[in-house]
Order: sequence, then C-alpha cells, then structure tokens
Amino acid sequence: MIRIRQLTKLYPMGDELVRALDGVDVDINAGEFVSITGQSGSGKSTLMHLMGCLDRPTSGTYELDGQSISVLSTHQLARIRNQRIGFVFQTFNLINRTSAIDNVAVPLFYARKTRTRQAAKRALARVGMDHRAHHRPSELSGGERQRVATARAIVNDPLLLLADEPTGNLDSKTGAQILELFHELHQSGVTIVLVTHEMSVAAQAQRVIRMADGKIVEDRTIDDAMRAQMIQAGI
Amino acid sequence: MFFFRIVMMSLRGLRANLLRSLLATLGVIIGVAAVISAMSILEGATRDVVDRFESLGSELITVISGQARVGGRATTLQTLTVADADAIMESGTTVALAAPEVMDAASCKNGARNYQASVVGTNEHYAKMNNYEVASGRFLTKEDRLGSGALVVVLGHKVAQKLFGAFDPINQSVRIAFLSRGGPRGFRVVGVMKKSGNIGFRNVDSQVVLPVTTVMHRMLNLRYVTTISVKANSAELVEPCIGEIKRVLRRRHGLRIGENDDFQVFSQERQRREFMEIRRLFAIVFYSIAGISLVVGGIGIMNIMLVSVTERTREIGVRIAVGAQRGDILLQFLIEASVISLLGGGFGLLVGFGFSTILERMSQDILETYTPPKVIAWALAMAILTGIISGIYPAIKASRLDPVEALRYE
Repeated sequence: MIRIRQLTKLYPMGDELVRALDGVDVDINAGEFVSITGQSGSGKSTLMHLMGCLDRPTSGTYELDGQSISVLSTHQLARIRNQRIGFVFQTFNLINRTSAIDNVAVPLFYARKTRTRQAAKRALARVGMDHRAHHRPSELSGGERQRVATARAIVNDPLLLLADEPTGNLDSKTGAQILELFHELHQSGVTIVLVTHEMSVAAQAQRVIRMADGKIVEDRTIDDAMRAQMIQAGI
Repeated sequence: MFFFRIVMMSLRGLRANLLRSLLATLGVIIGVAAVISAMSILEGATRDVVDRFESLGSELITVISGQARVGGRATTLQTLTVADADAIMESGTTVALAAPEVMDAASCKNGARNYQASVVGTNEHYAKMNNYEVASGRFLTKEDRLGSGALVVVLGHKVAQKLFGAFDPINQSVRIAFLSRGGPRGFRVVGVMKKSGNIGFRNVDSQVVLPVTTVMHRMLNLRYVTTISVKANSAELVEPCIGEIKRVLRRRHGLRIGENDDFQVFSQERQRREFMEIRRLFAIVFYSIAGISLVVGGIGIMNIMLVSVTERTREIGVRIAVGAQRGDILLQFLIEASVISLLGGGFGLLVGFGFSTILERMSQDILETYTPPKVIAWALAMAILTGIISGIYPAIKASRLDPVEALRYE
C-alpha cells in the first residue's frame, strides 16, 4: 500500500542544510501495524508528515495505494488527507467550544458530505464515546479526548491511521486504554503507523522501524519475546 | 448547505469572544449609527419640504421686487404693480393665472374676540392658483378690487373659528387693524375657506384675504406690491412662462437691452431642484463621514481577526491536516469577519434608529425623521463590505499557514 523510495527531505537552517530524511526506502502493506521509533531529530516525525501528505519531499517517490504523491497539487493532497488518511496527535488537537460529535464531523464537512451526524455517531460508537457525543473537549478527560480524536481520524474510513505520540500526554493506564483501542481498530482492518520515542509503546506494533539521523537503521517484525524485552527496557 | 454550516461555525466562534468582537466593531457600529441618524433626519426634512413644494404645485412661479444682490446687498427697490400682474395674465398661452400679493399682519376683532392673523392682499385668482377652496360664501371677485377696493374679507379656517365659533360669519363684520398702520376698519365677511394647513410655507388657516387694492389704497398707502405669483399652464411650460414674464415686465418697466432686471423670478420647480441638489450634497457628506468611521471599524476588525488567526494557529493546522482546502480556510475567516461586521452594522442600525426616534420625540414631532429602506440596505451593505475587505488579509494569512509548523505551534 505504501511504497517509499529514496525519500529525502532537506531544509535550510541558517547557513546549513539539515538532512531531516536521507534517502529512506520502506514498504508498508495494508493491514499492518507498524511503529516508527527513534530519538528526537531522527527523522521519524518528518517521515510521518510526508506519509501523511502534510509536506512534500525534496526528492524521492512516495506511492500511496498506487498513486504517486509527488505529482499531486496542493488541492489534491488536501483531498487525500481528507479521504485516505487519519491523524491522531499527542496533544489531541480537538476544536474547543465544539461538541465531540461536531469535532468528529469536521473531515466529513470538508468532504462536502451531507449526512454527517450519523457517520460521526458511528465513529464515536466505535471508540466507545457515543454516550458523550455532545460534550465539549473541556468537559472530557485526556483519555476521552484522545478517543474522540481517534474517532475523527477514522470517520472517513481512511486507508491509513497515523498516530504521533498518541499516549504522550496520557498517564500509563489511560495510555494503555488508547493502545488497546488501536489494537481493536487494527483487528478490524485498519492500517496503523504509530510514531513514538518510547520503546514500550513502539513494542505494541507487529513491526518496529528504528530511525537515526534521517535513515532507517532497523526494520523488523517482533515476536512476543522481543516485545516483552522492549517493554521491560522501556519501564 | 456548506455555506450555511460555515456561517454557523463562525457564529459559534464569535460567541466565545463576544465582548472582544463587539469592541472590534465599534467603528462599524458608530459609522452605521451615524449614517442612519443623519440620513433619517435628512429624509424627514426632505419629505417635509417636498410635501410643501408639492402642495404648491410645480407650475408656480414667484416674481419679487428688487434686483438680486447689488454690491452684496439686495436692493429694496419696489417695482411691481397690480397692473403688471394683469399684463402678465394677458400675455399669452403659457400663463394660466397671475395674482399680485401684499403681505402684512393684523389683529382682527369680532366683539370681544381677538385674533392675530396674517394678511394677504391679492386678486380673484389667488384661491384657484393655490388650490385653496371655499367652505362657505365666496372668494374675492374682480369687482372687489375695482377703484380703491371693497371693504370685504375672506377668512381662513382657524380665524373664522376663533372669531365666530359655531356662528356663521358670512355677512358679519370684522374690525381689522394692520400692524404697520391703517385701521381699525370694519370689513364684511364674504367667505370662509376650507381647512388647508400649509400651502407652501404659509399656514393659510390663520390668514385673512383682502382685495389687493383695498390693502394698498385704503390701509397701507402703497404704490407697489411685494410679489406676483404666476401659475404656468403646465410644468413643462414653466421655463417659457418665465421668459414671457420677463419680457412683459421689462417692456412695462422700460428696461433696455443690457440693463439688469429690476425684479427676480423664482420657480417652484427650480427651487425644488436646487433643494434636491443641496440634499444630495448633504447625503454625500453624511455617507463620507460614515465611510471614515467604517474604515476605522474595518481596521479594528482586521486587528481582531489577525489575533484570532494567531490564537487558532493549531486549530487551522488541524483543519488542514484533516483535509481543509486553502479556499475552505479562507472562506471561513472571511465569513467570520463579515459576520462580525454585519452584527456591528445591525447593532448600529438599532442605535441609529433609536437615536433618531428619541430626537423626534424630544422635539415633539417638529423634527420628523424617516428611515427609508434604501438607506438601511446601503448601511448593511457597507457593513458587510467593510467586513469582507478587512477580513481578506487575515483570511489569506490563515489559508497560507504551513500545516506542519501550525501543528507544532505553542
């Protein structure tokens, strides 16, 4: 589903040129649960931004579901983000003063859909939040907010769910609940790419890609033994 | 549907910061309130004046003695005579009626009852010319002004009421003493006029009409009349009629070519046009002043919108991330600015309307105000336009945000 070849992202910082991504090659198949991990500055966030079509690479190719992203216009990229990709952020990024159900409906709104309430309700039900559909973010706990954000990410039935440190602002118990939710979604067929610097969180996936200095240094599927090891190392 | 949704979203956004938004629109509120109040007063006054003009009819022409401003001061040379009026009347096809007029004030007595009335000495055409109708008895006739003039009087509605109450004044006697000099003398009432209110700028109900010759010869010892009123045969013939009048008077006054007229001719039509021109200038001034206030308001709105965009940088980033097009973001903020401005305009409308109503009440309806729908529409349109123009820059800024940076924004 995702084919990335020689993806490079450079940007100027003062007099220097920073190599955020340096010729990355990676394939991700539909239905996988992959985590991308590394220190800050390793390029994992940059890779996620490029995968999510939020930014354009300096060079290299990125194919999403057979479509080459680099040739698309800004307008088309926005449509891809709307229909093919769902984002979950560390800081939830819900719109204040707006109810949960209206928050979830935002992508549908931009897709010019008309029957938004039902689809939003379904998404909320899927994350177990339909009983709080009319509450505002300020009335919800951190875990509840992240659930709503997840509902927003899946409401348009995307190909890909991109999560950037989704448990970063949550306590361990709530974080575990969110990860459990991700597992449920994965089981129902959603492809998930989770970016994190925490080992114990990265271990939740089937496959871990480790990055450093803009390159992939390790890419392996992990078994239960390794998973336990990683979680131990993280605690 | 999409448009409606964005409007709802904008309203929700505004409600959160209502006070701040309203303060931002202060300029708009004041601008709209000012233009509404000023135009309401102007419209009220215009209607009043136009009504008066209309009651006179657009075929009316007024001739007065004296040259126009010689060396900065109008001369008081008297030059018009009753015979001039008769000559004008007979001059041709453009003139329908002509009546000389002499004015004064007088106290009128019936026994113990007294009334201060205005007096007009004129001829038999006066009533018809002004659409002034007789209620009982008759108006003046040509015979009344033969010789030195008959001692007859026609009473205005209010005068008759005050002096005679329920009694029939016809053939009764009234003693009239003129303010300037002359009298008191006894006059026989030959007619009472219908209640007519204002004809032109005179309240005819508190006026009495005497034969012009009576006033000139028996009371005030005058050789000349103050004005001659002329009615043209139609509104289109007013200009040729003015030409005819000038020709007749110049001939009769022995004026040679090159000499100035020793009289002035005014037509209602011309005066009305001049008034409307002045009114138009006033309107332009009012709208300009309002425009300045709106510019101030626009700057306020632009300021607030820029702050709003900065505060909501994260939110904009999220919207872009979930698929908002640049145009969607632009439209959202543009509509928000317009909605703020429109609300300010609506509020200003209420303030302006309230203000002119209060003014009307306080002046006990002497000052009438009227707010025409056109002015309301203009004011609201100006408000929306202000919003759109001042919102463009912030909206463009918002739509150009880089989502990656916006999402990182603290």
